[in-house]
Amino acid sequence: MDADSDVALDILITNVVCVFRTRCHLNLRKIALEGANVIYKRDVGKVLMKLRKPRITATIWSSGKIICTGATSEEEAKFGARRLARSLQKLGFQVIFTDFKVVNVLAVCNMPFEIRLPEFTKNNRPHASYEPELHPAVCYRIKSLRATLQIFSTGSITVTEMRPFLHRWSLGWPWDLC
Amino acid sequence: MDMLPKLYRSVIEDVIEGARHLFAEEGVEEQVLKDLKQLWETKVLQSKATEDFFRNSLHSPLFTLQLPHSLHQTLQSPTASLVIPAGRTLPKFTTAELGTSNSRANLTFSGYPIHVPAGVTLQTASGHLYKVNVPIMVTQTSGRASILQHPVQQVIQQLGQPSVPQLNPCCLQATTEKAQRMETVLQQPTILHSGTEDRKHLEKATSDTLVPPGNEHKIASEALLSQPESSQYIGLPGVVFPPQVSQTDSNVEPVVSVSASMIQNLHGGPLFKGPQGTRDQHVSDVQLHLLKNRKFECDSVKQPRNIEEPSSLPVSEKGSNSQMDLSIQVTDDDINEIIQIDGTGDTSSNDETGSTRDVDENEFLGIIDAGDLKVLEEEADSISNEDSTTNSSDNEDSQIDVVEEDPLNSGDDVSEQDMSDLFDTDNVIVCQYDKIHRSKNKWKFYLKDGIMCFGGRDYVFARAIGDAEW
Repeated sequence: MDADSDVALDILITNVVCVFRTRCHLNLRKIALEGANVIYKRDVGKVLMKLRKPRITATIWSSGKIICTGATSEEEAKFGARRLARSLQKLGFQVIFTDFKVVNVLAVCNMPFEIRLPEFTKNNRPHASYEPELHPAVCYRIKSLRATLQIFSTGSITVTEMRPFLHRWSLGWPWDLC
Repeated sequence: MDMLPKLYRSVIEDVIEGARHLFAEEGVEEQVLKDLKQLWETKVLQSKATEDFFRNSLHSPLFTLQLPHSLHQTLQSPTASLVIPAGRTLPKFTTAELGTSNSRANLTFSGYPIHVPAGVTLQTASGHLYKVNVPIMVTQTSGRASILQHPVQQVIQQLGQPSVPQLNPCCLQATTEKAQRMETVLQQPTILHSGTEDRKHLEKATSDTLVPPGNEHKIASEALLSQPESSQYIGLPGVVFPPQVSQTDSNVEPVVSVSASMIQNLHGGPLFKGPQGTRDQHVSDVQLHLLKNRKFECDSVKQPRNIEEPSSLPVSEKGSNSQMDLSIQVTDDDINEIIQIDGTGDTSSNDETGSTRDVDENEFLGIIDAGDLKVLEEEADSISNEDSTTNSSDNEDSQIDVVEEDPLNSGDDVSEQDMSDLFDTDNVIVCQYDKIHRSKNKWKFYLKDGIMCFGGRDYVFARAIGDAEW
């Protein structure tokens, strides 16, 4: 119930997931043998490549689709994805950096107050779903923003959404609701 | 640890023996096989991959060599320098030093071997004076006066030096007990001087043993070893006098190898049957260890071959160990003194893959480079900040770009990850893996059956566990 906006909320983006395509077939075995910092998961047919500078982990499929996770911002995600594509290029593959898309942004926030979940859920029937036996948090979905918030009784909230930079908007939502 | 040279020796032996049949079939001479083996052993020595065999105890006892001035004139120039093995901070004495000064040259060191020119009278810490008629190499002992001859014998065999040398009176045989040794030490100083007698014995013995052509003092040592046990016993704390090489070969210096462990008397009969000798001889590990030491120490080559040279001997010695026909019993003390650093005491793998270093593991091949930490850590420095805002991602998320976005600047802005440097390291482990586990950036390695080259040295392990942070 605290609508004190003077309290600065720290919203931390903890994870940005993005994908891009290389438009060319990738030889996973060659990447596994010659690449640096790679883990070859032969059973599932993918190669994990970890980068240090933007600390990201990329999952590479032989079709040329690459999923890049672990970045802390969208720019960093793109930067890391490009760097990854360049390292693949150096291995000899004719990579083209296309179809870059940020798939998911995960942010966390901590409310300075506790939240009474059952009451909250009652007030937000259509959007909030709460199954205490399955998960201790209320799952609040904002369809318009395609965002999902997990609200814990301690006041910490995790926001996952498809559209970056909008998580702050989504965070404003529960403010009104609480 | 002492297992490694033994292992290498056994490997060399097995391969050579296995190839012997093939060589014969192909019509290649036996000598070629011998040359191959020699070359192999030499390379192993030169690689300095094997450990220092001299050290068979954790402590490095002090060994004082006092060189009386009176022997300067007998010093031979080529052998005048005292060679101290690398790693030992010992001064190097030259002939000039010894010759010019009339004072006693005290050389105290905590390591070995020391190459002493011929004709020097040595006084050990126990106070015994030994006149050395041959250039000797003194190796470190743990304080016990034990002398091993067997290794000398083997060394001689392996070295393939030509011409049968004349044996020197310096023939040592190990005693079983320390007390005895000390006694023999006390009793035997004169043995060194009785050259004539010994020579006869040695020469006699020579005929009994199989000596490959070209073994110089090796042969002599063989003969020595094969002598009945009553022959010379010289107990020097760590000093073994090998038979002297033939006089004609002035460049060859017999090497005195000292071993800290004890070996029992060699019983009568040819102890050393030569390369084709019986291998059934049961030799304890300790003995092998000792023999190895000897091998190292017996340096039939000239000069200060260097420190590492002796290390090659053990390699060949190892192979010939199995050939020794010895009934040697080692006391329990000896066994206890051999420090085992593998197994439970193994820390090398942990050190190598310590958390302070990053390990780049190629799981696929099971090869781990433990030294490429810095390369991975430094990559950040070369990374320049790309102008990634050109395509602001603000509006992109929902767009699907069919057209290629900024063409990748081929390497202009990319981080120069030096992959070549990553694997260009000296520390390598070749092994099998039980399990490689990773959590986030924490890696755990459970390895088995491997050889690692760490700091230029080789280590063998049956199990290795490592932790690393990427």
